[in-house]
Amino acid sequence: MRSFLNQLNPSLKAITVVLLVCLLTFVFDPFTPLIYCMFTVMVTIICGKVAWKWYTLYFSVIFLLSFGMLWTTIAFADQPTNPGVTMHILFWDLPKEDVTVAAALTLRMLAFASLSFMFIFTTNMVDFILSVMQQFKLPPKLAYGVLAGYRFLPLIKEELIQIRSAHRIRGIHRANGIKGSIQQYKRFAIPLLAGAIRKAERTAIAMESKGFNGDRDRTFYRQFTLKWKDWGFLGMMLIVFLITVLFSMKLGYFSWYKGQF
Amino acid sequence: MINVSELSLWFDGNDEKAIIQTLSFQLNKGEAMLLLGPSGSGKSTLTRCLNGIYPRELEGMLKGDIHIYDHSIREAHPGTISKQVGVVFQDPETQFCMLTVEDEIAFGLENIRTPSNEIEAKIDEALELVQLSSYKHASINTLSGGQKQKLALACVLALQPNYLVLDEPTANLDPKSTKEFIQTIRHVWTEQQIGLIVIEHQLEGWITFINRAFILSKTGKGIYDGPLVKLIETNREMLQQQGIRLPKITDLVLTATRQNKASYKKIPLSNEDVLSSVTMDASFLERNRVEIAKPQKKNVILSASDVNLYKNQQRILNQLTVRLYDQSFVAIVGPNGSGKTSMTRLLSGIDRPSNGDIRLYQRPLNEWQEKDVRKQIGYVFQNPEHQFITDTVYNEIAFSLRLGGEHRESVIQEQVQNTLSHCELQGLGHLHPYSLSQGQKRRLSVATMIVDDQQVLFLDEPTFGQDAASTAKIMDLLEQRHRQGTTIIMVTHDMDLVDKYADRVLVLEKGEIVADQSPDQLWKQEKSVIKRWHLDYPNRIQLKQQMEEDRHAFVSKST
Amino acid sequence: MNNWKLKEIIVMSVLAVVFGIVYLAFLPVGKLLVSLLGPIGYDFIFGIWFIVSIIAAYIIRKPGAAFLSETIAATVEMLLGNAMGPIIIITGMIQGLGAEAAFAATRYKRYSLWVLMLAGIGAAIFSFVWGYFRSGFTALSTPYIVSMLVIRMISGAIIAGLIGKTISDSLAKTGVLSSFALGKQIRKERSVS
Repeated sequence: MRSFLNQLNPSLKAITVVLLVCLLTFVFDPFTPLIYCMFTVMVTIICGKVAWKWYTLYFSVIFLLSFGMLWTTIAFADQPTNPGVTMHILFWDLPKEDVTVAAALTLRMLAFASLSFMFIFTTNMVDFILSVMQQFKLPPKLAYGVLAGYRFLPLIKEELIQIRSAHRIRGIHRANGIKGSIQQYKRFAIPLLAGAIRKAERTAIAMESKGFNGDRDRTFYRQFTLKWKDWGFLGMMLIVFLITVLFSMKLGYFSWYKGQF
Repeated sequence: MINVSELSLWFDGNDEKAIIQTLSFQLNKGEAMLLLGPSGSGKSTLTRCLNGIYPRELEGMLKGDIHIYDHSIREAHPGTISKQVGVVFQDPETQFCMLTVEDEIAFGLENIRTPSNEIEAKIDEALELVQLSSYKHASINTLSGGQKQKLALACVLALQPNYLVLDEPTANLDPKSTKEFIQTIRHVWTEQQIGLIVIEHQLEGWITFINRAFILSKTGKGIYDGPLVKLIETNREMLQQQGIRLPKITDLVLTATRQNKASYKKIPLSNEDVLSSVTMDASFLERNRVEIAKPQKKNVILSASDVNLYKNQQRILNQLTVRLYDQSFVAIVGPNGSGKTSMTRLLSGIDRPSNGDIRLYQRPLNEWQEKDVRKQIGYVFQNPEHQFITDTVYNEIAFSLRLGGEHRESVIQEQVQNTLSHCELQGLGHLHPYSLSQGQKRRLSVATMIVDDQQVLFLDEPTFGQDAASTAKIMDLLEQRHRQGTTIIMVTHDMDLVDKYADRVLVLEKGEIVADQSPDQLWKQEKSVIKRWHLDYPNRIQLKQQMEEDRHAFVSKST
Repeated sequence: MNNWKLKEIIVMSVLAVVFGIVYLAFLPVGKLLVSLLGPIGYDFIFGIWFIVSIIAAYIIRKPGAAFLSETIAATVEMLLGNAMGPIIIITGMIQGLGAEAAFAATRYKRYSLWVLMLAGIGAAIFSFVWGYFRSGFTALSTPYIVSMLVIRMISGAIIAGLIGKTISDSLAKTGVLSSFALGKQIRKERSVS
């Protein structure tokens, strides 16, 4: 059970998450996303093997950000239709409508984040791309091209550090003004990109010389399949979403995303 | 067999100049040959033809043909040739598209549609062959350069090719990994009875088991095909003209012979050969470098005391204490990961130590203005491109001068021209720095670091990946600077360079300076110590030791 | 995908990786601007998040370059830890489609500065519609929303279109693009003149 989430088919897991995010988009009250967010976090804790340190860190960052969002949405809100109805928070009297909308948006973002983290923290990215190729016919050329690019990530970070100190040695310091900073970014970008492009070309040659030609007709060392538990997970997440919606309707909180355009 | 017949090749936009001209040769399975030639002789282009990437991916024109058994590269379906011909390329960083060792080997096997249930056994077999079995689940990023090249080899061996093409496979490796890699290849070649083509510009190591040489000229023509030894005996000049580096030992003996200090029955290709076939005047093996008149009083330029450096809770440098004097030529040596580069980066003020005191002219480095430090200290990075910031070679050098704002443009122009010719870059001022050759790029990065007359110059493996001619040029340049009074501090793996140029060596091991002495003193260290530090004796010392052992054996035999 | 060369795909995905990092690095800048200026803060620099689609399309010049590169960049952003997770991929796809639309309108024949700036504007419009639908700008006043859109379009044209072109052109000067469409075009122009 502890690694149930980690063992799910990566691409169907991604579809599950995206589907739920789309569904949540149609909800416009604070209560439903709050419940669903709590549910998702619970599922992650019970059924996932996760790097908790990072998970907590990521979630705290999102938490802080969502507070910022809450604040700006209230501050820059449209003229409420019912300015008379206010609620008292700390030192301010705020229009109740604005607060509700802001809370709905904020909690929705938290729910999105909980779903995303459930995916990111339980999925190996190479597996994800391999599985999209195997289950959803992503062309191998694109799949392996992306993987090759992804392999460059640590190299690029390393290069960036090198370039920065190499530039310092040349006597380039802090840039002044907008034009200066653009110039500065360009100086960074060119060696970085030029090096990356040359490496990419070499990688392509190396891959082709190992017989890669982009044919869909290939065998797989690591095979991904869709099992009943993958569909079961999708079903469970949807059913719980439905229950949450019904529950919040019953309590009278529920609101569709409708006339607010 | 591989049959190359009358192969010529042109790239688009360069119709007059053929990259390869009417090249022909055959190679049977089980044979080995060295394909030698200077940079720009079309070696890599030929590699791409040999495994069928060209003409399919070629933007240009191809005449003639290559047959691999019955398949012409012109008609081959992509992927069929790679079953026959496997290639290992030069750059260890760019031959992979997966994250782990087993996935990478599997990638090739999947390409040729190996049934899924047979893949794992083939992965194990290939890893076994290159002695990487324990790294099966490792992430490729954690491997060293030498291990990456072995992995690249395992990837192609897993496809069980009949031929193996190695395109300068050791150019980016340090001497120790180079030796290991060549040994692995030799092992594979004798085990598997495959055909082997090694593309190189140096002979060290390969020459002991590959006899046949095919020489490409600068213009992409085949100018010799036959036994290598014969060529060395009869037409050494040709090799030199093509920028091909002889084994150091061969070079040494031949130089001695020219000076009438040695004679040989058979040209020695490895140190073992020397004993049986060479007689040499021992005086030739004394250290022979032009001493530069040193000032009586040595002034300390840079000093570090009790410097520590930690990264990610790992100790990189431990209690580093060292003084660097003016007008010295210091070599920093030691195993990979021993902290050589980190040390130079601290001393030159690029990075800050975790704690400890670094002083430039008695004044703590962190009290200096950055721009004043740069006027004193230059630093040449391992990859010169990182240091380039403008569009032309000229501007690249002028940039440093303009930065100060204290020079008039006419003065700048004069100084740039001087520096250009000093670094043998004259006439290249209008080119983009990236379009230069490897050697020119390296000299340009030196040029940018000396134009302001910096007194201290750090270099991180300046001869890494350079061919013989380019190495000679860069070392000449450094030697000249040194004569003019610049302090040179160089990280290197090449003990012959240390022996020839340095007056002081710092040996680093696990972040500590374990030896600080003159080269001559270092070469007196026990073999076991030298080995522990992952060093080697320079060739002249190795020879000397062998000759002494031999004399010893001879004496004890005769008594 | 068949008329794409493998090296073009890898170069595109490497560009996407580089700019995926850049995208993520600029998020805090956006957040800062938002906390200073309100939601409109993002729009001033929104063009940054379209830049890879313009660069990739301008260099490679094949149908799909803008869309795919932006999608991959978004994927990389997710992998590196963008809080929006898989949603960011959809955002990337939509922005990429916006840029792609401009190139498709010229039938992938013209890559002048104007077309590139148009692609930046296209990405801005598409992303705005998506943002409007998803993150609920609804709570904001109409004039505010309109000025957000206008600023985002300008940002797309200048940052993505203009700066994207300058970067690509300087890159071409180094010679590393010689076997890509942009490099070939420059070579052709040179041999004519």
